[in-house]
Amino acid sequence: MGLLDALTGRHQVKGPAPDRLFAITTAYITLQSEHGIEPAGSAAIVFQALATSDFESTIKDMEEVVKATGGESGTQVATQDDSYGYRWMVLRNPAGAPSVEDLAVGINAVSSSIETAGYGERLLCAVFAFSDAQRHPIYCIYNYKRGFWYPFVPAPGSGGSSDGGERSTERELQLKAQIGNELPMEPELERWFPLWGIPI
Amino acid sequence: MAATAHKGHAAFGKDTGLQARMFLTLFLLVVIYAVLVGVLFAVGASGLTILVVALALMAMQVFASDKIAMGTMGVKEVSPAEEPELHGIVERLCVQADIPKPRVCVMEHQMPNAFAMGRSRKSATVCATRGILEMLSPAELEGVMAHELTHVVNRDVMVMTLASFFAMVASLIVQFGFFFGGGFGGGYGRSREAEEAVFVSIAVAAAVYAISFLLLRALSRYREFAADRGSAVLTGRPSALASALLKLSGTMERIPSRDLRTVEGMSAFFIVPARAKSSLMNLFADHPPLEQRLAALQRLEAQLQGTA
Repeated sequence: MGLLDALTGRHQVKGPAPDRLFAITTAYITLQSEHGIEPAGSAAIVFQALATSDFESTIKDMEEVVKATGGESGTQVATQDDSYGYRWMVLRNPAGAPSVEDLAVGINAVSSSIETAGYGERLLCAVFAFSDAQRHPIYCIYNYKRGFWYPFVPAPGSGGSSDGGERSTERELQLKAQIGNELPMEPELERWFPLWGIPI
Repeated sequence: MAATAHKGHAAFGKDTGLQARMFLTLFLLVVIYAVLVGVLFAVGASGLTILVVALALMAMQVFASDKIAMGTMGVKEVSPAEEPELHGIVERLCVQADIPKPRVCVMEHQMPNAFAMGRSRKSATVCATRGILEMLSPAELEGVMAHELTHVVNRDVMVMTLASFFAMVASLIVQFGFFFGGGFGGGYGRSREAEEAVFVSIAVAAAVYAISFLLLRALSRYREFAADRGSAVLTGRPSALASALLKLSGTMERIPSRDLRTVEGMSAFFIVPARAKSSLMNLFADHPPLEQRLAALQRLEAQLQGTA
């Protein structure tokens, strides 16, 4: 933001950064083959749902599109609002076919139709769920504003509620070292914002 | 990318009028400050002394005021474990605004209010009182925190501190001008000219102080409008903030003034002024009247709904 913007208090919400969502489709192979971290077969996109008829119809159309394109792979779509007033669109693959590619294509279809409708600045994050050998959840979060990824690992036994909990920072930093080469990681650690109560 | 993101109905339009008024106010401030500096140079050495003293005072204000305020007001930083909902709201808004997360504080006070402090985005603090956390719904609280975060994004504390620098110089001259008087215009043997110089500079300073006071109040009101607007843009829910303002204003008037006086000094950074309402002269107020803020938010909601 320039000096003039600071003086006049002008402020716009940023639209999405250049898309690096599909980096997950190569990074998950490393996670799977070298670190024993399996995709959980679900992903979600979080955005601010505007209470306008135009936005609602955009979302409805988009849901239809994702359902139609997901028909071949059997991807299911569900929508829910969280306690912070953000909307989650959750994509689930049928059991036994946890294809990260299908999920990324689905998430990308959602985000691009939101952008085409002119609501790009309402996108918050996309989340891909994984689980480690002990079946603890591991999340990879994609920040649309920044175009960066970061890991989010709730400490075992917490993270189920939206009230927050402990996160396993050590595990997250290990993940950064493990897949930092494939996944464009958020360089500023203070922007690794947690998302409690992820519904996937 | 930016062009596609803002095409169509979704984006809020620009508020050119507000920016023009803010710019005019800043311009007028610079003009009258230039007059003051001119007079200070004309009277010579002790004028410059005052300038240096004022600079030191401002540096203190910039670097220590938030710590002093936090210390005296009983503001306490809270961890995500203590206040998960407040942290959750702030974190999501920071993602949305693309700023680093400020420190999150809570003031144990039943008066419902919120404010932002700190000279830069890195050192920023947002604070909510216990009263506001208990009173507002999550969506309303989000609107209020987005208002405060917009103050951080717009660097309002810094802008207001810098803008009021010469007003502070002027007030120093008015208060201590006679004390410094001996030094004005030479030093030994007060000549008639020297005495005149003292009177002239005090008179000019008084005028500068009075005018800049009004201009600063106007600037503060414009920045409140800008923060309301920023909050609406950030959350996409102008009416949630409007609802919060209505709730807050309802209680602010019922709060006994004895309690209010203890927080008087922080008024400029509060979301609603901490004073019992006396709408005698809006010209002197640092916050715009509630009706105007609600009307501005209503216009934004209409833009959003596509009915404007």
